[in-house]
Amino acid sequence: MKDKKTSKAPEKTDNAPARFKAGDRVRVKDLPNMFYSRTQMYARGVSGTIAARTYQDLIPEDEAFNRDGRLEQYYIVRFRQKDLWEEYPSEKDTLQTEFPDRWLEPV
Amino acid sequence: MSLRSELRQQYDIIGSLQPATHVPQNWNYEIPSSLYRAYMHPPHDVGGQRDVPLQYEEKEEEQWELNTYVTCEVLGWRGIWNAEERRRRADNDLGYTLYLGMPYYGRWIWAAARMLVDKNHVSLTELLEKIAEVKSRHER
Repeated sequence: MKDKKTSKAPEKTDNAPARFKAGDRVRVKDLPNMFYSRTQMYARGVSGTIAARTYQDLIPEDEAFNRDGRLEQYYIVRFRQKDLWEEYPSEKDTLQTEFPDRWLEPV
Repeated sequence: MSLRSELRQQYDIIGSLQPATHVPQNWNYEIPSSLYRAYMHPPHDVGGQRDVPLQYEEKEEEQWELNTYVTCEVLGWRGIWNAEERRRRADNDLGYTLYLGMPYYGRWIWAAARMLVDKNHVSLTELLEKIAEVKSRHER
């Protein structure tokens, strides 16, 4: 086996700015699906609230193809279950999941 | 597969894997956009899909599964791929039929082999001959 490095640590200096903070209302972008995604179909186009800023990392669409892109801020977004599933029986329950900055837009 | 009866049986199994929506011609230039979106849907995005209740079972990993896991991790430590590329290959690139049909770690080792061939770390003939050699060792 060749000892060939195909990926290296991303440059920490080239970060995209974090646009959102906890409490902000955001909507998940509804981009086309092609080749790879970690953005669930059920969350696309749905609005939620930033529950927390987490860490900075590469975005899946770059990392999955070994592109050393810039780091982006990740967020935990909280949705009302009722907004995700119309038939959901309770108004109070929420679902939290995680997205990088570029998959979100301000509401 | 030297027996002709085995060959026919194998064609029948392949036939049973045909997609549910099967257009027998290959000149269907127009497909509805909802069908196109379904074709482009990443197989691992299973949330929200209907399913039947499943029996939860506790099961220890088998040795080949542990070996697969370690092999894939070592390939990562050596910089040959990263975890996201592994997911892309094992959860997406293999397509619905394999995604739904193969065991969990079967998808991992399929992805590792495909990646090593894609990146020219092993040639396909090298891989095929090795598999045949190991197989004959086990059949002896």
